[in-house]
Amino acid sequence: MDPTQLTIAEASRAIADGSLSPVALTEAYLDRIAALDGELHSYVLVLRDQAIDAARSLAGRPRQGALHGIPIGLKDIYKTRGIRTTAGSRRYLDHTPDQDAETWVRLRGAGAILLGKQETHEFAIGGPDFTLPFAPSRNPWNTAHYPAGSSSGTAVAVAAGLCAAGMGSDTGGSIRGPAAYCGIVGLKPTYGRVSRRGVFPLSYTLDHCGPLTRTVEDCAIMMAALAGYDPQDPASADVPVPDYRVALTSRLDGIRIGVIRHFHEHDAVAAFGPDSAPSAAYTAAFDAACHTLEALGARLVDVKLSPLIDYLDANRLIMLAEAYALHEQDFRERPQDFGHHMFARIALGAFLTAADYVEAMRQRRELCVEFARALDGIDVMVSANSTGPAPPIDAIPTYSTFERASYTGPYNLTGSPALSVPIGFEGGLPLAFQIAGKPFDEAGVMRVGHAFEQATDYHRQRPPIAAPLPGRS
Amino acid sequence: MADQTISSERFAVLVEQAGLKLTPEQFAELHDGYRFVQRMQRVVRRARDRAAEPAHIFVHPRAERP
Repeated sequence: MDPTQLTIAEASRAIADGSLSPVALTEAYLDRIAALDGELHSYVLVLRDQAIDAARSLAGRPRQGALHGIPIGLKDIYKTRGIRTTAGSRRYLDHTPDQDAETWVRLRGAGAILLGKQETHEFAIGGPDFTLPFAPSRNPWNTAHYPAGSSSGTAVAVAAGLCAAGMGSDTGGSIRGPAAYCGIVGLKPTYGRVSRRGVFPLSYTLDHCGPLTRTVEDCAIMMAALAGYDPQDPASADVPVPDYRVALTSRLDGIRIGVIRHFHEHDAVAAFGPDSAPSAAYTAAFDAACHTLEALGARLVDVKLSPLIDYLDANRLIMLAEAYALHEQDFRERPQDFGHHMFARIALGAFLTAADYVEAMRQRRELCVEFARALDGIDVMVSANSTGPAPPIDAIPTYSTFERASYTGPYNLTGSPALSVPIGFEGGLPLAFQIAGKPFDEAGVMRVGHAFEQATDYHRQRPPIAAPLPGRS
Repeated sequence: MADQTISSERFAVLVEQAGLKLTPEQFAELHDGYRFVQRMQRVVRRARDRAAEPAHIFVHPRAERP
C-alpha cells in the first residue's frame, strides 16, 4: 500500500504498531514530489537528504509526540535555521535565517519531518505572479486552474499527496481560500492562539498561522502541537489549550449554529457587482451542507450582521496600511526587487492617511462587538467560502484582491477561529464553506467540521494526480 | 464596485509625496487601483460617537499559573 494515501491519524497508528517506518513514509513522499511537482510547482526547495536523516533519527525510537514520523511542508515565509527562506521574493532570494519559526520548533518537537519549503505568493500577497523567481503552484484538480493563495504551495502539496500536512498563513483568507479551491481542510486559529514568531509578516494585527490538512482530525492533531502561549510573540495569548481530538464527535445534538446567508446571497452582488454572484451549484452545495448539519442534530438559525463590505474593506484597509509600513523603505529604494502584483497591490497603501487607518480600526472594534453579540447563545457560525470553483490561473487580475467579494476576511478582522471544509464539487473542482467560532474555541469549530465530514465523503475524494504512483498501490 | 475620481495630475502629487519612483506602467496601474483606496475610505469613514475607540488591544485573559 502507498503510505502517502494515509491521513496523519492513520499513518501515526501504522508507525506506532510498527507496520510503517518514518523512513518509508518520508521516502514515499519524496518520490511523489520528484515525480509530480514538475507539473504542480508546490515546492521551492526540497530537503531530501535532511528529511531522510530526520526520519532515520526517529526510526525505532519511542514516540516523540503527536506527529512522530509525519512528513510536512512549510510555506516559504516560515523561517528555518540554516535553510533558505525567500518569502517568494527576489528581495530575500538568498536569505538564510539563523533562527526557526516557533511553529516549526513545536512541530519538530512533536516528531514532524520537514520535506521542504513551499511556494507562496510574494510576502503572502503578490500572486499568482509569473514574474517571480518561482513559478506559481497549479491546482491539482486541474492544473490550468488557480489553487488560490497565498498559501498556494502548501495547499497544493497537501491535496496532491506531496506532504501529509503543512503550515500556511492567513491575513484575509490565505489558508482558507487555498483549502477551498484545493478540496482540503484549512484552519485559521484565533488571533493569539498560534505563534507568528519567525514568520514574515504581512499585517501585524491580521496575520494568523495555521495548518492545512486532508481531514479535520488531522487538523486537530496539528493543533495539538501548534497551539499555546509564546511569550516572545507580542500578540500571543496565554489561554489553556484543550485536547482537540477529544472534542471530535459524530453528532451535533444540542449545538446551535448561526448561518450568515446574506454575505453571499445579497451583499456580494450589491457591493461588487454580478461577477461576484455565487454559482447555482455553490448555493445548492451550501444549502445541502446546512441540511446535513441539521440532520446531525444541530439547530440552525439565520444571523444578520453588517454588510459584507463593511468587514472586507476595514480588513483590506488595515492590511494595506500595515503592509505598506513594513515595505515602505524597500518600495522607495529598491522597487525592482518586487514582483508586479506585490508592488501594485501594497503600494496602494502609500495613499492612505493616518486617519483612514484609525477609522478602519474604530470600525473593526464595532464589528468585533457585533460579531461577539451575534454569537451569544450560538456555538458556531457557518458562512460561505469562495462561492464558485477555482478560475483559470491566467485569469487573475492584478487587483483581484480588491475587486471581488471574499468571505474569509471578516474573521481576520474579528480574530475568530475559522475552518474551511469541503462541501461539494462543480465542474470537477472543489467547493467549501466556513465554520467560525468564539475566541479560542477551535475545538467547537473542529467538532462541527469533523461531524460534517463523518456524514459526507467530500474530504475522501482526491484529485486524480493524488493517486498512488505506478507500482505503489 | 469602485469608480475612478482622481485626475492624473492630482495622483502624481500623491505619488511624489509618497516618495515613490514609478515607471509609466506602474503609474497607470496604481492610478487605476486608487479607486479601491477611495472605496475603502468611503466604507470606513462614517459618523461615530467620539467615545467609539479603535480596536487597539489584543490582550486575552491569562491562564492561572501554579
